[in-house]
Amino acid sequence: MNRPRANSAEVRALSDAELMAALAAGDLGALGSLYDRYHESVRRFVARVTSDAEDVDDLVHATFLTAAGSAARYDGRAVGRAWLMGIAVRLVRRRRHALGRFFTLLSSLRMVGRTSHDPRSSLHAQSDLERALARLSEPKRMAILLAEVEGLSCPEIAEALGVPVGTVWTRLHAARRELRRALEGGE
Amino acid sequence: MTNACPRSFEVEALHNGRLSGTERASFERHLANCGLCSREARALAALGDALRDGVPAPADELHVRRERTRLLAEFDRGFLAERGAWFRRGVAGALVLVAAAALAVTLFVVVRSRPVPPPSARTNTVVNATNDAVWSRRLGERWEAIVLERGELEIEVRREKGWKALRVELPDGELEDEGTIFTVSVYAGRTTRVTVREGSVSLRLRGQPPTHIAAGESWNAAPHPLPPSASSRIESSTSSERVERPRDAALSAPGRPAPAPTPASSAPPASSVPNASPVVPSASAQTAAASAASDDFRAAVASYNRGSHAEAAVLLARFLARYPGDARGEDASYLRVLAFRKIGDEASRRRAAADYLRRYPSGFRRSEVEALLR
Repeated sequence: MNRPRANSAEVRALSDAELMAALAAGDLGALGSLYDRYHESVRRFVARVTSDAEDVDDLVHATFLTAAGSAARYDGRAVGRAWLMGIAVRLVRRRRHALGRFFTLLSSLRMVGRTSHDPRSSLHAQSDLERALARLSEPKRMAILLAEVEGLSCPEIAEALGVPVGTVWTRLHAARRELRRALEGGE
Repeated sequence: MTNACPRSFEVEALHNGRLSGTERASFERHLANCGLCSREARALAALGDALRDGVPAPADELHVRRERTRLLAEFDRGFLAERGAWFRRGVAGALVLVAAAALAVTLFVVVRSRPVPPPSARTNTVVNATNDAVWSRRLGERWEAIVLERGELEIEVRREKGWKALRVELPDGELEDEGTIFTVSVYAGRTTRVTVREGSVSLRLRGQPPTHIAAGESWNAAPHPLPPSASSRIESSTSSERVERPRDAALSAPGRPAPAPTPASSAPPASSVPNASPVVPSASAQTAAASAASDDFRAAVASYNRGSHAEAAVLLARFLARYPGDARGEDASYLRVLAFRKIGDEASRRRAAADYLRRYPSGFRRSEVEALLR
């Protein structure tokens, strides 16, 4: 496939918006740079939002591929990381509702056992905080992780989650209350 | 939790970045004098710290590289064009989902009663091991991993449609099959040799750039003495002499004619593998030279990894000049490009990139280096 290549001589020094423009032009180096810049953040977020270790790689992969496909529509308003988190959020939600879960359920009912797990990572909650975090609803868990771990501002979180900023404030407040209650309750 | 201060609601507002200007200044003055609000602020900060402390460990470096390669490969194959069309179908896509759901239900009913073969029967990978080899195999729904702790394996991958690439996990890294017959040796916790008969593999060792090994090529670590039990399978060959020969008959799969041994040569078979990375010409007399090359390469990589990129660029250039036939030459050349990019020396980076493309026009990282040149 002949793909026009943008001038990627200074890919590493480009802003997120410039990187998106290069990516929209099919610059392979720009996608590599985007991945290098944000893969850790996306993986970190996806790993704590989802409940299946085997989904994390696919979701991270899909996030960057989707970003590459949407690069032409990136309007430059959002910081690249917030924009990527928004894509990851939508993919996590879609994965939860998608037909793929139905097939996974089919597989488990057909007794094709997952006799071995990819040993790369374990997402099972170990600490009280992680258990409490896992018990939060997905919208609250996403909000609190984006705020406290990824350092996104409330307007950025609102854009990523596709909700009003007031909803973000409410979810953050509720998440903090539930987490503190669970920790003070001594699980 | 109760808080009697009437301004306690502003604690979280401040934490969320909602206060600014005079509002922020006013509350910060209040915070300095209100024990209740201060305690609440500390509790919020502590919760944030705890959430940040609980982040999962970063993914293994090798895993990140593998995933990055997978991503770029898929992007380059025009995956996006197909997906873009799919996303634009909207209603048609929804109808396909509904039809797929109906099909799934039908399949579930029809297939459920069929016996499902155990995972061990769903691989066509043939593994021949030396007597002293310690290894195991793991199968997942979409992947297969062979874990080699010690010894030598000859592995033939008979690729099935839809089956993901085989991965061999090594004590110090991993090796990814790309449709091949190859041999890999591990001793004393180190990968010592990889020889590819057909196809190609990608060898990724921790702390080192990946190495692509094509058919007819061998990769060797610094000379490592083989235990006596292993030499009985390798027979007349030693790691220092058999670097360029295809695997001998000792490990051929049953029923398959053994490859005819080719004379050991001190020169790499460049004509049979055009544009490939030259292998280290080896003979017992050159053991010291091979060790020096490895030491120099490791020193250069160590400089890069600790952030001394200018020093790394110098060391890598020296490595390339001193050991022109070394199998790690492509890695060193590529790493030099990255080092200059880290420094911000654009002119040197371009020269290094051009040098890489001149040396390795069909190199593993050609597309990435070409992108850096444009």
